[in-house]
Amino acid sequence: MAAVIAGLVAFCVGQNLFKTMEGTLMGTFAISCICVWNGFFNSIQVICRERAIVKRDHRSGLHITSYILAHMIYQAVLCIAQSAITIFVFMSMRITMPSKSLITGFPLVDFMITIFLVTYCADMLALLISSCAKTTTTAMTIMPFMLIVQLLFSGNFFTLPDMAKPLTNLTATKWGLTALCAQGDYNSLPMVSVWNNALKMQNVEINGEKPLQDAFVYLEKNDYRDEILKKTAEQNQNPEFAFDDDVVYKCWAWLIGWTVFYILAAVIVLEFIDKDKR
Amino acid sequence: MWEQVGLNVVSYVLASIGCWNLFKKCGVKSFWAVIPVAREYHISLCADKEEDGRTLTLLSFIYYASWLVGRFINSSNRLSVIIFIFCFSSALAMVIVKIRVYWELIKVFKRNKKWIIMFFLFEGITLMIWGLVKGFVPSFRVDDLEGDGAKILGQDVSDDINGLTINLKSRTSWDFFKKKTLLKDIHMNIPKGHMVLLLGGSGAGKTTFLNAITGYEKADAKITLGELDIYDDYEKIIYDVGFVPQQDLIRGNDTVWLTLADAATLRLPSDTPIKERFARVDSVLEQFGLTVVRNNLVDKLSGGQRKRVSIAMEYISDPTLFILDEPDSGLDGVVARSLFEKLRDIANDGKIVIVITHTPDRVADLFDDVIVLIKDSKRTGRIAFYGTVEESYKFFEKDSMEGILRVINPINVGGDGRGEEFVEKYADLMKGNVG
Repeated sequence: MAAVIAGLVAFCVGQNLFKTMEGTLMGTFAISCICVWNGFFNSIQVICRERAIVKRDHRSGLHITSYILAHMIYQAVLCIAQSAITIFVFMSMRITMPSKSLITGFPLVDFMITIFLVTYCADMLALLISSCAKTTTTAMTIMPFMLIVQLLFSGNFFTLPDMAKPLTNLTATKWGLTALCAQGDYNSLPMVSVWNNALKMQNVEINGEKPLQDAFVYLEKNDYRDEILKKTAEQNQNPEFAFDDDVVYKCWAWLIGWTVFYILAAVIVLEFIDKDKR
Repeated sequence: MWEQVGLNVVSYVLASIGCWNLFKKCGVKSFWAVIPVAREYHISLCADKEEDGRTLTLLSFIYYASWLVGRFINSSNRLSVIIFIFCFSSALAMVIVKIRVYWELIKVFKRNKKWIIMFFLFEGITLMIWGLVKGFVPSFRVDDLEGDGAKILGQDVSDDINGLTINLKSRTSWDFFKKKTLLKDIHMNIPKGHMVLLLGGSGAGKTTFLNAITGYEKADAKITLGELDIYDDYEKIIYDVGFVPQQDLIRGNDTVWLTLADAATLRLPSDTPIKERFARVDSVLEQFGLTVVRNNLVDKLSGGQRKRVSIAMEYISDPTLFILDEPDSGLDGVVARSLFEKLRDIANDGKIVIVITHTPDRVADLFDDVIVLIKDSKRTGRIAFYGTVEESYKFFEKDSMEGILRVINPINVGGDGRGEEFVEKYADLMKGNVG
């Protein structure tokens, strides 16, 4: 499943990933979404479907921490495998990957750690939902809402009102997207949307002439296009996506922080499983 | 806008007047009628639908709160849309829950079901009619549930070091700020080697009783198994008590051996050597006739085999007190009989086996004793009898367990509703025995 989703995303948005600012933003958003989707589906039903068994085992002396730890280990292996598959599929489809490393010295390893952390964070959130939900139906009903929250509040992809911006800190997609953009050196990439939009107006006539078309012909003849794209990008750089190890460390810390929070919350919730009504 | 507010106020005042009188009729304190949110909960109490009452309380709180906040927010503000969504959805859900509550209220007042339309369209006026007209009398009063109920024995039995001694004063729980007594005044000695049938209608407190005697849910009680106090020495005794739940709570994708090996890891002391643990698994497999299916997936087993795996999981720790909640549910007569014979063998090994079953007559001869629990008029679980099977037939003047069930079950579930009479008769009998 992870391979199919990665393949679809690579096919649809992989062309300009880590090549242009717009392609990178869209692509990293899509990669974050794949991770959240994979993470959610890994564990959304694992606890709620055997809730009664957990209750029985808890009565017989099962420690909830051991139970959650067992799930954490299994899910970690699953998430590592999914992250590796996603990267393998992207590389097989000749998608451009980050070429410079910020943390480990190996850009692909940095990239995979980010993908793993986002997937694992979403996985643990789904594990928490699964711990709270009494039935699989409830868990599967809550999941789409959580998915929408993760997508809408990813921060940099959709323009949100100011009062909603603090909520973006709650989502794994925001930290995943930010880390991936930083690793792909987003701020050094050209911006093409302004040029492309202006190009659409080249046939506009003023007093029987096409001054914009003339200007484009002049710029392309003199090889000014790339320079203009870079100049446009310079005006649209985002300090949050700076090619800086501090940015990546910060994003990873947030992802790990949320993962730990979800795990602790799941343990606390399950400690009260004996209170379930018959 | 002010007309709308005026209409709401008039409707609220009418409903308050109606509820004031309605609550008096139903044995609820009248002042709740004028307190929003609490009023909705107490209407549900009158309808004997407390669970819906809790939902209604929550919904009405959201509704009133969002309505109030909405009054103070500029309608052009984006927040007002969210408030409106809250207000609208809680109002919609409230209507649905209210219909359920009023439907039950109509039943309690034994009135024509068409009244539900009146409640739906003109709630305030209808409540006023029901409150003010003297002909509207409920068949149930909330304050009937308060008080002491049937006579109590109130005397402990002395501890028996060769068995299970139960001296349970009460088992209470807090539910929505109200203290409820779930069980009361149960005293008995069960000797080792006895197989005991736990009989009682639905809601009589059988599972609550079992949870209390296993220490899983503590009660105001002193319960001893041999020389150990189940509550004080819970950590020591946890492996000496086995509880088999009604459902087969087993992972279907594990093999039988793996299931029992996991059970052994959980239920045997952690310092048990692995060889000893596996030997115990093999011995229990043999004892329950599961050796031939040891490598089969649990999902592939028959109902009887799965039930045996479920029992074997608890039996792995060789408990002295072995409790089973409807182990024969879903099994045919022959398989059920064979299962109970297996339990009889376990009891013959000097264990105490307590079993809940809803089809006791097919295996009644295998039991030594019977405990009969009933739900009294205060909805508290009470003991109506404990003694041998033969004595129980004489005590209830019936010749079958089903006959006993029929005589103790409440009238609304097709019984004779004589449960409390036997609680008092048993209390008198015990007073004579205990002195």
